[in-house]
Amino acid sequence: MSMTSQIISHAASKASALAALAQSGAASEPTAPTFWMPTGASTIAGGVDHTLDVINWICYVFFALILVLMVYFVVKYRHRKGERFRTDFPHHNTPLEVTWSIIPTIIVIGIFVVGFRSYLDIYTAPKNAFDIKVTAQKWAWNFQYPNGATSDDLYVPAGRPVRLILRSSDVLHSLYIPDFRVKRDIVPGRYTYAWFQCDYPSGQPGKSPRDPNAKKVEGPEDPAQVYNLHCTEYCGTGHSKMNRYVYVLDEASFSQWMIDQSQWLDKIPEEELFFKAGPKIFARCQQCHSLDGTKGIGPSWQGIVERVKAYPNVGEGKKYGTWEDYVRTSILVPGDYVVPTYGNVMPSFKGQLNDKAIDAVIGYMEHLSDFDPKTGKYLKADAAK
Amino acid sequence: MTTIPLPSSGPVRDTIEARPEGDNYLTHTRGLFSWIFTLDHKRIGVMYMWSVLGAFLLGGIFALLVRTELLTPGPTITEDANTYNQWFTLHGAIMVFLVIIPSIPAALGNIILPVMLGAKDVAFPRLNLFSYYLWVTGAILCIASLAMGGFDTGWTFYTPYSTTTTAGGVIPVLTAAFVLGFSSIFTGLNFVVTVHKLRPPGMTWFRMPLFLWALYATAIIQVLATPVLGITLLLLIVERTVNIGIFNPAMGGDPVLYQHFFWFYSHPAVYIMILPAMGIISEIIAVNSHRSIFGYRFIAFSSIAIAMFSFIVWGHHMFTSGQSALLNTLFSAISFSVAIPSAVKVFNWIATLYKGSVSLTTPMWYALAFLFLFTIGGLTGLHLATLSTDVHLHDTYFVVAHFHYVMMGSALIAMIGGLHHWWPKIFGRMYDERLGTIACWIIFIGFNVTFFTQFILGAKGMPRRYYDYQPEFQVYHVISTIGSYTMAFGFVLTAVSLFGSFFTGRKAPANPWGGRSLEWQCASPPPFDNFAKAPRVGDCYDFSVVHWDEKTGGYWVDESADPEVNPGAGGAKAAH
Repeated sequence: MSMTSQIISHAASKASALAALAQSGAASEPTAPTFWMPTGASTIAGGVDHTLDVINWICYVFFALILVLMVYFVVKYRHRKGERFRTDFPHHNTPLEVTWSIIPTIIVIGIFVVGFRSYLDIYTAPKNAFDIKVTAQKWAWNFQYPNGATSDDLYVPAGRPVRLILRSSDVLHSLYIPDFRVKRDIVPGRYTYAWFQCDYPSGQPGKSPRDPNAKKVEGPEDPAQVYNLHCTEYCGTGHSKMNRYVYVLDEASFSQWMIDQSQWLDKIPEEELFFKAGPKIFARCQQCHSLDGTKGIGPSWQGIVERVKAYPNVGEGKKYGTWEDYVRTSILVPGDYVVPTYGNVMPSFKGQLNDKAIDAVIGYMEHLSDFDPKTGKYLKADAAK
Repeated sequence: MTTIPLPSSGPVRDTIEARPEGDNYLTHTRGLFSWIFTLDHKRIGVMYMWSVLGAFLLGGIFALLVRTELLTPGPTITEDANTYNQWFTLHGAIMVFLVIIPSIPAALGNIILPVMLGAKDVAFPRLNLFSYYLWVTGAILCIASLAMGGFDTGWTFYTPYSTTTTAGGVIPVLTAAFVLGFSSIFTGLNFVVTVHKLRPPGMTWFRMPLFLWALYATAIIQVLATPVLGITLLLLIVERTVNIGIFNPAMGGDPVLYQHFFWFYSHPAVYIMILPAMGIISEIIAVNSHRSIFGYRFIAFSSIAIAMFSFIVWGHHMFTSGQSALLNTLFSAISFSVAIPSAVKVFNWIATLYKGSVSLTTPMWYALAFLFLFTIGGLTGLHLATLSTDVHLHDTYFVVAHFHYVMMGSALIAMIGGLHHWWPKIFGRMYDERLGTIACWIIFIGFNVTFFTQFILGAKGMPRRYYDYQPEFQVYHVISTIGSYTMAFGFVLTAVSLFGSFFTGRKAPANPWGGRSLEWQCASPPPFDNFAKAPRVGDCYDFSVVHWDEKTGGYWVDESADPEVNPGAGGAKAAH
C-alpha cells in the first residue's frame, strides 16, 4: 500500500512539475522510444507517458502479488487423492474483505485524477493556435493551410500550438499521430478538433523517414526524423493505406514552404503541366487507380482515353460531349459516370482540384504512354530539357 | 479401463439408485426426432454446445486467416484488402454473437443450471427449444450472408460505413444478429424465472451455488440490454434500405448516436460474457480446493454490482469520438468503479486457495489460467479507462489485446474449463486428464505469446483493422501469429482428449472431483428427469462431508452428516 501511494504521489508531483514546465515555455525535447511507447515528440507526450508509467507500475505490483500468492497457495496446500480435506480454513474475514475493497478504490481514484489532469492538456487547445483544416475521405487526407495551400502530408510549424480542424466527406475516420499521442475521430456532419505542439523541427520532406527502431533520437536537428500519421477508425478497403508523414518545420522554413506550396501549380507553364503536375496529383489517385492495367478499387488509367472515346455512354446511358468532359465530371461529380462492375465509391474532389489541376490530370492521361506504367517515371524527361 | 458400476458404498442418494442401469437423458429415448423436438434442458444444452463449438471452429479459422495475412506487411495470402476486411469482420461477429455470448449461459447453463438448482427442468422448456432454433436461424443467416456478398463492416457495424458499403451481406447479418438477440433474451428470461420459481425447499438465495448467482445476474442483463441492440440493428436495416436519416449526417442524423445505442448494449454484453465465466471459476476453485468459497456473499453481491455498473459505463468506448469532455470525465470515473468488484472477486478466489486442499485437475488448471489472464485483462482495463492514455491507445492493438484477454483469455478459457469440469457429468465419461492438462498449458502459452505481443504493438502505435502496416511492426506480428498457431494446436489436443473419452475414457463416477452442489449428487450422466423427488439441500460449499471412494474412483457425499440436512448429525460433522 505504502509503495503504491508513493508511486502515485511521485507521479502526481512529476505531472505537476511537467505542467509548470510547459507553462514556463521551456521546449520539450523528443523522448527516446521505450519498451512500450514510441518517441514522444509533442509537448503533451510527457504527461501521457507518465500517466502510463504510473498505471504500469501499479499493474506490475498487483500482478506480481496475485501471481505469487496463487502459486504459493497452490504449492503449499496441494492435495492428493485419498488425503483428508483440511478444515482449519477461514470462511470469510470481513475486515480483510473491506480492506481489499477500499485499497483498490483509493488507487483507482488516484489513477483517475492523474489521467484527468493530463487529459485536460490534451483536450483544450491554446487560444493562439495555428489552424489547419483537415479533410478525410476514402482513402486520402487533405490538409489546407490559412493561405490556401493544400498538401497530402501534414506540415506544421515548430514551437507553436497547432490546431487541426477535422471534417470528413464520407464515413468515420480518425486522425492518429502516435509520436504526438494525439487521436481524434472525424465524424461526418460535424467538426472535431485536435491540437498539439512540437518544439523541435523534424526531418525535411524528400529525405528518408527515421528508423523507428532506432534506440535513440539523434537530437533536435536530426534530419531523419519525421512522424507517422494514421487513420484509426475503420473506413473500408483503403483503411490501412491512409498513412502519411508529419513534417515539423522551423518557423521560417514553414512560412516559405507555405508560400511555395500555394503557388506550385501556378508556377508551372501550361505545356509542362502534364509531366510536372500530373504525377504529383496522381499520388492522390493511386490508392484506387493504377497506370499498368491492374484492377483496383476504380478502373485503371491505362488506355483510359481510348476507352472513353470508344464508348461514349458510360453508366446508365448518360452522354457527355468530349472525353475531357468525362474526366472533368468524374473528378467533380464521380457518381454521374460510374463504370459498370465498379461501385459508386469515389469521393468528389470539388474544391480540392482547381481547373489547372484538372487540366494537368487530363494532360497526364493523354500522355500516359510517355510514363513508365510501374514506376510512373517520365520517360522523355531528357528530351523535355 | 473397465467400466465401474455406480457407487454402492456409503449412503446412496435415492435419486441415483432408483433407475435401471444405463438409463439416462442420453439413452432415455432414441432417434433423431427425440433430439430435435426434445424439451429436455440437458439435450437442448448439448445441442447448443455442439453448435457453439462448431461456430467456434469457424470463427477460429477466420482468426488464423487474419493472423496469417498479417505475417508480412502488404499482401501475404490475399491480394485484396477487402477479403481481409471480411475475415476480421466474420471472426468478430461469429465469436461474439454465435460463440461467446451463448457459450456459457445457453450451452453449459442450460445443462447445469436446473440440475444444480435441484429442478427437473427450466421454467419454460418450449421457449428453451425455441431459443435454440432462433440461434440456428441466426447462424444460418450469418453463413448465408457470406454467399450474398459477405460483409466488411467490422462487428460493430459503425455508421455511415455500414449503411453505405456495397457489400451485399450486411442486411442478412444484421438480421442474424437481431434474431440471435432474441435467442439470448429468451434464455435470460427462462433463467430468471427458473431461479425465482423452481428452487426446491431449502435452496434459499444464499444457499445457491455461485454459478447460479452469476447466471442469474447475466440473465438480468440479457433481458434488459439485448432489446436495445435489437432496436438499433432494426434502425440500421431501415436506414440502409429506405434511408430514413437517423444516423446519416447528410439528412440531419448523427453517426455518434449509433455508437451510443450500440455500446449501450455491447458494453453490458461484455458482462454477459464474463459474469458466467466468473461463476464457473468460483465453482471450479471451490470444488477443487475442497473448502468453502472465501467470502461467498462478497462474490455474490459483486456479481450483482458488476451487472448494475455495466449499464452506465458504455461511453468509455467513445472517448475520442467527439463526446464532450464532461461526459468523457464522468464515464471514465464510473468505469473505474467496475474495477473494484472485479478485483474483489480475484482476491476472494486467491483467498479460497488459502488453507484449502487443492487438487490440480484439468479444470483447476483452466481456473488458474483464468486467474492469470483475467488479472492481466482487468489491469490493462485501467490504461483504457484513464482518459489521457486511452486517447493514445484507443483503436490500436492495445485494445485488441485487452479485450482478447477478457473475452477469450477469461470468458472462453472459463467456458473450456467448465466443459472439462462438467464433461464427465454431461457424457458420463472421463477424458485423459494428462493430455487435457498439457493442452491447457499449450493454449495458455500460445495465448500469451499471441496477445501480450499485441499490447506492445498497440502502445507503439499500430492501429487495429489494418491489412497493411509499417515494416517496423513485422517482428511483433510474426511472434503473435506463431502464438496463434500454438493456440490452435492446443485446441486440437483438447478436442483429442475430450473426444477420446468416448472411445477410451473410463465410465465417470457421479462425483469425480469431490463437488458438493446438487449436480454431483445425481448420476453421470443425469437421468432424464434429474431427480426422482425434490432433493434435500445442504450447504453446497461444505466439503467436510465429501469422502473419497477408491471403488468408484470418485467421491461421495455423506448428506446425513450435514446438520443442515440432518439436524441430529452435528456431532459427526464436528469430528472432521
